[in-house]
Amino acid sequence: MVEAVQVQLKKGVLELCVLALISRADAYGYEIASRLAEGIEMGEGTIYPLMRRLQAEGLVETYLVESTAGPSRKYYRLTKAGAARFDAQKTEWTAFSAAVNAILGGAQ
Amino acid sequence: MTRQNFIDRLRAGLAGLPTPAIADAVADYETHFDDASAAGRDEAAVAAALGDPDRLARELRAEIGLRRWEAERNPSAAANAVFAVLGLGAIDILILLPILLWVGGVLLGFYIASVALFGVGGVLMVAGPFVIHAAPVLALVLAGLGLMAGGASLTALATIGSVGCINALVWYGRLHMRLLKPALDAQGIVG
Repeated sequence: MVEAVQVQLKKGVLELCVLALISRADAYGYEIASRLAEGIEMGEGTIYPLMRRLQAEGLVETYLVESTAGPSRKYYRLTKAGAARFDAQKTEWTAFSAAVNAILGGAQ
Repeated sequence: MTRQNFIDRLRAGLAGLPTPAIADAVADYETHFDDASAAGRDEAAVAAALGDPDRLARELRAEIGLRRWEAERNPSAAANAVFAVLGLGAIDILILLPILLWVGGVLLGFYIASVALFGVGGVLMVAGPFVIHAAPVLALVLAGLGLMAGGASLTALATIGSVGCINALVWYGRLHMRLLKPALDAQGIVG
């Protein structure tokens, strides 16, 4: 049960984490997947359907970069709409987590 | 699971989608395997870390289906989007099916009524003047034209209604990808 709640929590904040990661620097798929898997243990493959959705919603866009080894690499960058969404979600998350922390702290 | 197994199962799960869409999706995972092996990771471990390819294929299929419907509003894209949303999970079907059947039945009724109206109007306009001698010819032709116009506008209304319904379904599908799907995933991981 605890595990189920954890997975739901993680999936819920996944979009926010991806937006945060790309807002700092443009990144390619494997980079995003491995950075997130490291931080919040989860199926790395979930990133790709999510990136497709973010792209369809116009929050991120892709561009190809020539690679020294192998084929060119697909990088993701934040669009204006993506940056606006990130700011909104970050504010929401900060307020929400502060409220939860206050309640958790008060319960002890 | 080997890299080849993973890619094969993903391909099988995506079968039926447009070829470029499958190629795009598979390329993402091929690149992931390439990058992982460049980073010195074991192939089987990478496949395991990626997760269940069947479930990933269902999520991708839903995303691609919904996007296609938003890009091109035609019956085939609509059918695709509907099936992709239903493919996301059994719970969706149980909740949605009665509603879908009811709405579909009402819309079908509208379509049939509008076709009948159009037909009756046509017959009245063409055959009316020969059969009904009591009324002036012009009145019969105008009445027939009026009925046909009514039928045509009813068809247009039913079409608008259908597009609205599919849009609502797409919205529902997106909502479930975010809210319901994690719950199903969680069951898979715990179980």
